Amino acid sequence: MSGFDKFNTDFYQSSYSVDDQNQAGYGYNNENQYNKQYSQYDYSQQMGYPAPGMMQPQQPYTGQIFQPTQTYTPSSSQSMYSSSFDDEPPLLEELGINFDHIWQKTLTVLHPLKVADGSIMNETDLAGPMVFCLAFGATLLLAGKIQFGYVYGISAIGCLGMYCLLNLMSMTGVSFGCVASVLGYCLLPMIVLSSFGVLFSLQGLMGIILTAAIIGWCSLSASKIFISALAMDGQQLLVAYPCALLYGVFALISVF
Amino acid sequence: MRNSSCREFMCLSVDRNQHSGRQAAGSPGQSMLSEPMSNLAMAYGSSLATQGKEMMDKNLDRFIPISKLKYYFAVDTLYVGKKLGLLVFPYMHENWEVSYQQDTPVAPRFDVNAPDLYIPAMGFITYVLVAGLALGTQNRFTPELLGVHASSALVWLIMEVLAVLLSLYLVTVSTDLTTIDLLAFAGYKYVGMIVGLVAGLMFGRPAYYLSLLWCCAAIFVFMTRTLRLKLLSEAAAEGKLVRVARNQLRMYLTMCIAAAQPVFMYWFTYHLIR
Repeated sequence: MSGFDKFNTDFYQSSYSVDDQNQAGYGYNNENQYNKQYSQYDYSQQMGYPAPGMMQPQQPYTGQIFQPTQTYTPSSSQSMYSSSFDDEPPLLEELGINFDHIWQKTLTVLHPLKVADGSIMNETDLAGPMVFCLAFGATLLLAGKIQFGYVYGISAIGCLGMYCLLNLMSMTGVSFGCVASVLGYCLLPMIVLSSFGVLFSLQGLMGIILTAAIIGWCSLSASKIFISALAMDGQQLLVAYPCALLYGVFALISVF
Repeated sequence: MRNSSCREFMCLSVDRNQHSGRQAAGSPGQSMLSEPMSNLAMAYGSSLATQGKEMMDKNLDRFIPISKLKYYFAVDTLYVGKKLGLLVFPYMHENWEVSYQQDTPVAPRFDVNAPDLYIPAMGFITYVLVAGLALGTQNRFTPELLGVHASSALVWLIMEVLAVLLSLYLVTVSTDLTTIDLLAFAGYKYVGMIVGLVAGLMFGRPAYYLSLLWCCAAIFVFMTRTLRLKLLSEAAAEGKLVRVARNQLRMYLTMCIAAAQPVFMYWFTYHLIR
């Protein structure tokens, strides 16, 4: 804990003292670190920072000791269900696949100009993105390009890069699952592009215009969702640019 | 760490057995065994993951000061637009001083003169992608070449920052330039390189040379004016002659750093345009 002092001296002196952190010693040390960093990073942004649910050491700990918190394991609520057969939750609910939410998120992606609701990204859902990745690979296969490996590799590197960038740019952090989920959902228009690529070649003027439009569509949707989920102001184009780079690489695979 | 995890295991097993004991009536024998075990395993796994994450964050924080890095990414679209304009046309800008707020520099969002890391980072990635595109249009593209370009550019960037740090140390300049500031300034040249490359790809070699020349001159002026305020003493920066020999050395140092930028810009792009 003494390492924090050297961060403190270079920077904006917050009123958050080290002593406040020494309560709730069991297993909450990582959250104290995050709080220290966020309280330093306070460049008179008018909104302050909305502390995420599990990072408030001032609240009394109401759960059970050494039991993981709700937000960390999203399906832990399922474990509270009774073990009798009649009361067992349906399979899809237990797996955490909620078709209604998937459909809602898909609709959000398909309307890039409509304002998004920030709370839809609260549960990280990787089922939808997996389906979209597979569909993208399948349409590429139809065009004769067997490049599943590139698709997965680029999406992994891209997600990692976006995760680092968004954590550095936003006031509240973001989890890797959320980033992967959003980027996966916004891959949907790219599937449209690659299915066009099956029908006619994308290397002419029409193809270039279509490619540019689809890249713009994907990155605008992704940045819109990130902005509303992370409450970043005045940074939409800044978030859209790296998304456009990532989807540009996918488009390169579809076109060439 | 092992003791605490064993204790967790015990606590959880006691807990789960109580729960399942109460609801055991009427449930098939299999679910009575599997439900507490799977919950146990899940809870244990997630607590292990939490511990691992905690340890990683603690160690990461020692090497890369995340809170300092966050300062350099506190940008918004307006700042980026103005800064890009400055990088390409710095001749009309008059006030190059960074404003301070109670001894700490103001975030880049609020002051266009403050260095940031968003533009260099995006510039670097865009440069690598545009290099790939240029190679692709000449049918020389392989993924290995992309990696070669990326790593060589990165290595030369790091070496440039180290060289500047060494020369600052040798000239015994007391300045508040941090390593990350120097990294940011060294990364601004990627913008000029990208402009040159794109012009060359779209309009051919003469356009590449013209735009590169313009961007080299611009980055030279930008670096000189920015570094002058940081490296030279205040009086000399305002134009008065103070302790001639010492300031001459610092002036030469500033000139050298600024002159190195166009050299790098040309070196990294000329082989991409045919």
